[in-house]
Formats: sequence, C-alpha cells, structure tokens
Amino acid sequence: MFANFRLSLTWLHTWFGLVLGFVLMVAFFFGSMSVFDREIDRWSLPQTRIAAQPMPSFDRILAARFAQMTEPDPEQRELAAGRVTQPLPEKLKVTTWSAFTTHRDPVLSMFVGFEVPNSTLPDDQIFGDVTIDPRDGRVLSRDQLPIGSGFFYPMHFSLHISWYGVGYWIVGFAAIAMLAAIVSGVFMHRKIFREFFTFRPTRNLLRSTLDLHNLAGVVALPFHFLWALSGLIIFAGIYFPVIETMMHPLVEQHEREEATHTGLDLEPSGKPGRLSPVDAMVSAAKEKWASRGMPGEVGFLAVTHVGSSNAYVSIYRDSTDRVATAEGMHFDGATGRVIFEDPPVGPVETVNGFLEGMHLQQFRHWTLRWLIFVGGLLSCACIATGFIFYVEKRKRTHARDGHAGSRWVDALAVTTVTGMVVATLSILVVNRLLPENLPQRDLWEMSTFWLVWILTLVHAAWRSSALREARMSKAWPEQCWTIASLALSAAVLNAVTTGDHLGRTLSAGYWPVAGVDLMLLATAGIAAVAARKLQARARARVRDTVADNDTTLEQEPERA
Amino acid sequence: MPDAVLLVAALLVTELGMGWLALAMDVHWKQVHARARSPRSATVLRTLGTAALAASLTLCLVADTATMAVLVWMMLLAVSAATIAFVLSIRPRLLAPLAGVRRASIAR
Repeated sequence: MFANFRLSLTWLHTWFGLVLGFVLMVAFFFGSMSVFDREIDRWSLPQTRIAAQPMPSFDRILAARFAQMTEPDPEQRELAAGRVTQPLPEKLKVTTWSAFTTHRDPVLSMFVGFEVPNSTLPDDQIFGDVTIDPRDGRVLSRDQLPIGSGFFYPMHFSLHISWYGVGYWIVGFAAIAMLAAIVSGVFMHRKIFREFFTFRPTRNLLRSTLDLHNLAGVVALPFHFLWALSGLIIFAGIYFPVIETMMHPLVEQHEREEATHTGLDLEPSGKPGRLSPVDAMVSAAKEKWASRGMPGEVGFLAVTHVGSSNAYVSIYRDSTDRVATAEGMHFDGATGRVIFEDPPVGPVETVNGFLEGMHLQQFRHWTLRWLIFVGGLLSCACIATGFIFYVEKRKRTHARDGHAGSRWVDALAVTTVTGMVVATLSILVVNRLLPENLPQRDLWEMSTFWLVWILTLVHAAWRSSALREARMSKAWPEQCWTIASLALSAAVLNAVTTGDHLGRTLSAGYWPVAGVDLMLLATAGIAAVAARKLQARARARVRDTVADNDTTLEQEPERA
Repeated sequence: MPDAVLLVAALLVTELGMGWLALAMDVHWKQVHARARSPRSATVLRTLGTAALAASLTLCLVADTATMAVLVWMMLLAVSAATIAFVLSIRPRLLAPLAGVRRASIAR
C-alpha cells in the first residue's frame, strides 16, 4: 500500500492523530483540569471554602446519615429496572455503606449500595450517594455542581456520554491512538536527539509548528506514554470484561476460596446483626499504622453486608505519602476484632498499583501535582500543534484546488483548542452569576458549557472561510480575546460575589481559591499576548503574501 | 521545609544538566559562542550534563520515597528540557555562563 515503512507510519500518525486527536485534546485538557479538581470545586462552591477535614466519626455522624440514605439514585434505579426479570421491589435491600475522602477534601462523599434482585447481571448493585459537610453531617444540595470533580473529571474519561458507556470506549480508542501516535512519531522523527532542544520561532510557521510539536512530544515522551497507558489500565475492566464474562465461573470459584482464606464472607448470613462501635476499629487501625511507622488518616471506609450478623468493616489509609493506594484492614462488624489484613501485593499488582496511583494522584505532593499538570498541558500543546501543522501543510494546495479539508480541520481545531477553553471559562463565569439557590443550578451551568462550546464551533466554521484563500482564520485571535476577557471576568466575579479576592486568599494562604484565581489571571495574560501576536502575524501576512507563498512549501520537502 | 529546598535544588540541577547537554551539541554551542569548540569540551559538557541529571535524581530520592521520586525526576527532565529549548530560541546567551565563556568572547 505504501512505498516504505516510514510512509505507512506517517499515514497512521496523520490520520489517527487527526481523527482521535480531537478526543485526545478533550481528554488531556480536562485531565489537566482534574489534577486540581478539588481546588476548582472550592472555587465553584463558596460554601465549602474551608480547610480539608479528616474522616469524621462514624458512630456520631456517618451512621445516622447512612441510615437515612434509603433510596438509590433515580437514574441508576431506572437503568436497573431494564435489566431485571421481575419488576423491581419498591424498597431495595441495602448491602454496602462507604465513605471516601482525601487530604484535599473539606467535604465527604458517602455511598450506599443496593442489591438488584433478579438481575441478569451477576452481583448486580446500584448506588445512592450524598456529599456532606463532615463537621456537622449537613448534606450539600445536589443542585450545587462541584465543577472540578463533578463535571471536568467525568468529562476527562467519559466525555459525559453515558449512553451504553460509549464515552469510555471513545476515550479508550483515543488512548490507543495516542500510544500508536507516540510510537509512529518516534520513528518518523529522524533527528530525535539532534533536534532535542530545537525550537525555531523565527522560521516559517510550518517549520516552527513542527518544532513545537516535536519538542512537546519528545521532552515529555515518558509522560505521554505512561499516562495514556495507565488510563487504559484503569478502565481495562470495561474494555475487556473477561472477569464478568468468559472467566466468570473461575472467578466465582476463586472468590469462594479466597473468602474461606480471608474470613470475609461473600454473602450476607441472612441473620440480623448489630454493628459494634466503628470508631474503636478506626482507632485500632490508626494505632497499627502508627506502630508500623506510617501514621495516617482514614481515606476510605466501607461496611459490607450492612445489617447482617456477618457484616464487616474495611478501613483503608489515606495514601498521601506514596503513589499506589493503600492496603485495607478488615474488622468483624459484630465483635470489632480484625478478621483479615490485605497482605503486601505481588509484583504485578505493585506495577498496576503504581500506574493507577500515578494517574489518580491521591498523594500529597504539590510539586509533583504541578509537574503532572504541566505534563498534561504539554500533551495538549503537542496535539494542538499537530492540528496546526496539518492545516499549514495543506491549506495552500487545498485553497488552490478548492478542497474544504483543511478548512474543516481548522474549524474543529479552533473549537477543540480555544473553543474548549472558552466553554470551560464560561461555566466558571456562569457559576458566579447564577443566583445561589436557583433550582437545578447544575443543569444551567452544564447547559451553558455545551451551548458556548457549540457557539465556538459555529464561530470557527464561519471564520474558517478565510482558509479558502489560504489565510489564517480570524477565529483564532478572536477566541483568544474571548478567553482573555472571560478569564479576567471569572476572577473579578469571584472577588465581587464571594469577597474572596486575591488579597484576602493570598494573605490567608487559602491556596485552592488563590491558585484558581492566579491561573485565571495567567490565562487571561497569555491569551491576550497570543491574540496580539496572531493579529500582528495576520497583518504581516497580508503585506507580503506573495513572498510567503513562494517560500513556505519548498522549505519542507521531507515530510508527507 | 527541607523537602522543598531539595526539590528546588533538584529543579535547578536538572536545568543545569539539560543546559550542559544542549551546549554539548554544535548547533546550540554556536548559538552561545562565536568560536568553534574543541571536541574535548563536548565530552566534558556531556559528562557534566549527565552527572547533573544523576545528581538531580539523587536529590529527588533523598526528598521522597523511591516511587514518588522517579515520577518527580521524570517530570523535572521534561520541564527542564522544554525550558532550555525556549531559552535557546529566545535568549540563548543566558546559557553562556554554563559554557564557562567569558563575556568578551560571547557570540553577537
């Protein structure tokens, strides 16, 4: 099909990179945002702007709250009703209680699992959840959207397409395309070491774009590779559900054997039982951690077989000081003594835990957190320059021959590069503008995001008509100006509506909100500079179009 | 906070190392220095660069547990390489002190 190996790799790199690059851009941009999801949550929910809290007392606060959580999420209930052989009973049986927090969370997420009887799926469960203020157990309104963890984070891995889990699959394919693009990119790049530090901004746009593409790709190569890979590993269970399908009988047998070994029953006993004080178990677990020289707080706490005589309580350490997440300690619910402790994991699990932990970042390490954020932005830069290179390479021939290809790629590139930032900033701005107690406030915020994003697409498509004459689309500088003004507005609106201006947050050392505000101001500055440079370049282009037309294409003969 | 000091030191040493490795390359040496460079100095620069990167890994390992340190170091390499590339493209002469070049002989 192709004359040589390099040409076929170039084809693969170009087309997979282009088609799935738009998805990758979303995954990496919102992934970078998710590195600071808890901080964005604080910015968007002013009533939660308090110091991070440890796991509260189970007996005094959590137990009562869990007991009130008797209903699963209505959406999950509706979905479950579609996979049962008999109608779902009005009241579902509670099977598990769990609570999760991190060292960055002032609020606590609580989950209750319900059994789905007569389901076509094995061990089918659905969940209900609430978020509480751990100081007093007060429930946070569902209408208040935590924009970081509740919107940007799911966008990162599912694109908010929940229909049959299609979103996960699209992102998964994009991650595979990323791995293929990295490998093919390394092969295509003939001067990977010789041009390691090379960026020539004064050369023509095609050359400098390619320099930037290579630079962002090569210097952060391990990051790009490891993060795409670990993302795939985290969702491997969705992509290859062998545990629930092909290997199910084997897995069941293994689970039964493991249960006799660990003493943690697979099924509830059927006899009612009372839970002895959980706080005592928590203290016992903390004492044990301290005695091993790794004192810590509780990150995850779960009760399995709720209300049954063989209920057990699992306690996991908040893994702030290491990459992988921690092993658990399991207590007998009735007696409060330790039944089983997860043993140290084997080599495969160690690697797996490291890759997953590094992707999920529950650790307390602000330097590494920032470095990972920068890594994500380098990925975005690499993908975005890939689009620009595609367009620059072809726009003149396309304009001459009347092809619309580079025009549409340019419009989509504007939408996924600047348009996505515009939409992201819009949801922050609208978050500060909507009345605090507006019913379905979350829906208004999310709708604004999608509507604005569509508008940026329309704007980009309209402005991309410039590509017909091989000129730069004015959408680039115009959306850069929009970014600058929205970012500035968001920071100002935060100061006006909450009073937490930078003077106050910086002097109080309240970094979650100060950090978001500083990033907004930095974004505004960078976008304004970029807009001015783009406009200057466009004016210069108009002056010497002819000269430019003659030189640019010939300087880049080596690439297809 | 000694950990913070160690990490800042690690960042600076990584930048230094990447700077030396860049100057060991002819193209970048010429951006900083007018005169051609002896082949021996390339070896010296390369050795210095490698040693600096090894030193920064050591600093990371002192600051954090091994698994964390490796991640921090990997990301420091990325950030430093990108910074040096930008310095070379915008203000290459900032790297002159790394080459042990006296002011008078700096490339114009």
